[in-house]
Amino acid sequence: MNVLQHLSGLVADLLREDDRRIVLGEDVIDGGMLGLTRGVASDEALRSRLVATPLTPSVIFAHAAGLALGGRRPLVILASTTALFEGLAGLREACMLGWRTEQARSVPMLIIAPCGPGFSLGGDASDGIEGVLCRLPGIRVLMAGRAQDAGAWLNAAALQADTEGPTVLLLPRSLLLRELSGPPNATLAGSATEAQLVRQGTTATVFAWGETVEIALAAVARTGTDTAVVDVGCLAPLDKEALVSHACATGKIVIAHGSDQAVAAELAALFADQAILHLDAPVTRIGGATGPTTPGGEAAALPSVDRLAEAIVSVTEY
Amino acid sequence: MVMAASSDATVSTGQSLVHMCSTATVRLPVFAGLACVYWRLTVAPRGRYNPAAVQVSPWDPESVATVLDAQGSLAEGTDVGSLDVRAYYKRLVAARVLDLRLSRLGLPMWASCGGEEAPVVATALVAQPNEWIYPGVRDNAVALARGVEPGTLVDQLLGRAQPGGVALPRRVSSHELRVATTTDALGLHLPIAAGQAHAASMGAGGEAVFALFGEGLTTTGVFHETVALAVRGNLPLVLVCRSQVWPDQAPPEAGVFGDSVQERATVCGLWSRRVDGADPIVVWNTLSTAATRAREGSGPSLVEVIVTPQVHNPPPHRDPIERLRRHLDAQGQWTPTFQDVVEAETHQAVEDALVANGWATEGEA
Repeated sequence: MNVLQHLSGLVADLLREDDRRIVLGEDVIDGGMLGLTRGVASDEALRSRLVATPLTPSVIFAHAAGLALGGRRPLVILASTTALFEGLAGLREACMLGWRTEQARSVPMLIIAPCGPGFSLGGDASDGIEGVLCRLPGIRVLMAGRAQDAGAWLNAAALQADTEGPTVLLLPRSLLLRELSGPPNATLAGSATEAQLVRQGTTATVFAWGETVEIALAAVARTGTDTAVVDVGCLAPLDKEALVSHACATGKIVIAHGSDQAVAAELAALFADQAILHLDAPVTRIGGATGPTTPGGEAAALPSVDRLAEAIVSVTEY
Repeated sequence: MVMAASSDATVSTGQSLVHMCSTATVRLPVFAGLACVYWRLTVAPRGRYNPAAVQVSPWDPESVATVLDAQGSLAEGTDVGSLDVRAYYKRLVAARVLDLRLSRLGLPMWASCGGEEAPVVATALVAQPNEWIYPGVRDNAVALARGVEPGTLVDQLLGRAQPGGVALPRRVSSHELRVATTTDALGLHLPIAAGQAHAASMGAGGEAVFALFGEGLTTTGVFHETVALAVRGNLPLVLVCRSQVWPDQAPPEAGVFGDSVQERATVCGLWSRRVDGADPIVVWNTLSTAATRAREGSGPSLVEVIVTPQVHNPPPHRDPIERLRRHLDAQGQWTPTFQDVVEAETHQAVEDALVANGWATEGEA
């Protein structure tokens, strides 16, 4: 079973658990572009809660916000993060509804979108969006890291949406077609907003999220150093206290990111501000190339294991 | 008909707007210490409907439903159902008083909506207490007519924080009275309202959701997507569109623009009606029908209300308040004292709130 098939089953489970849930998106009635609603579509009892929305993303988000205000728990499944760029106006309104109503009205809506390279789509498919999303007031932005955790992230994101309001879960495409090795994790080690220490280490710390988590683990293994790897996971709001504490633990920091530099820049600024007295090496950022790519050149949007390993050695020996 | 047009208002800020706001039937004397707007109303003809006396002017829109003629006579056989016409009139006047006073503050980005009160107030009256209204950015009178205290409303409009809450500048909303907030991005309240109607249709039903907007929005994608959603889902959504026959800056000689939002909505599959906004009764009647349809599960609707902004200085019968006043007067239900009291009630509350917000009272301005 690959990650997508696993997630498809979980989406159906989410609808079974809570009859307020409803799925919106293009083609969701036929399983959706990613097949994420195949599980729901094949269950007669759930099918009626699939709503095909051949609309602009902005209107889909606004409509979902209205459904949420009316007591439903909408789950919007997008075919690509490009739709998030297109729908910023609607998403922004959805995120601000809590503030506008002095929290009198809650907006439990979850948006799921595949991101980054992995399907050889080229163009802007691998263009990172997290920096743009994170600056929307009131939003939660989560990004699944390891393939084994993808389902756990989906459940955690649904819980975040129910309790905290508009939540976006970004699913790296490079993980989605991966075959699961062994039983997937049902829940995250900590809460969804907590930065997770996915590898213990004492000499340096690599901060990563999304597809760079597995790249970081591979890079650490290649260097043979005792380097820690932190899965930032929740990009908005940042778990600043935990992140600073992880940074202070080793004082040698590498930040591994995709084509979007904004979150990495924010982390670097955070460490310069709050961990400066513990730093023993310059804060190093290793990222992918920005801008559109050719279908064959998508991999450039992510840092290679080699580049990351080199950076880890460099800060370790600094 | 002889109408005296004058304005004694002496405030400097927004002088021209005030002047334009005061229609032929309205005077705005200012008494030092007694800051009270009241209306000097000219003699309105009493008596029964007389077709010969109907003034047909280029200001009157074509192809609109009307039940109250220019003189305020109700067409025979008109059923006003449960409508308390006097209470309706009071709310219309309150909306005008609020608009006139706030227009004079010279707030940035403020646009007067004098003359557009009928669809706004009627929506507030037609919606049941549990039903949500999504107003447009200028439809502050919805909150007033829904029962938000004028003082609270002014506080919200001026951005003063409420106890225990946050300041929401230039936005009026009330969770208890089911008045939703407006959106920053123009028109996005329409799909939000459609979403809420969608949720209502999946629940027990019997509940309508209302959204107000101007005709300028009807060329946008967000409007058409909302209509598509509403028609497809048979959503209990009532779309209330305020249309100006003459868009801003166009001279009256330009005549009827010819475009009908109602026709476009009909083509999209919506139940829609086009009514005269200078006739508050037909507006209320039509919105009541639309709301009943929504509650009964008969689906979405669009009511296009042709309004005549008072800033354009139209003839008095194009003013919904004046037309309803003529109707009440003919019924023996209107007196100048009644008018003064109705105006003073709102005006005093607004004035108090302005003072509390650090604005000079009208007499001191």
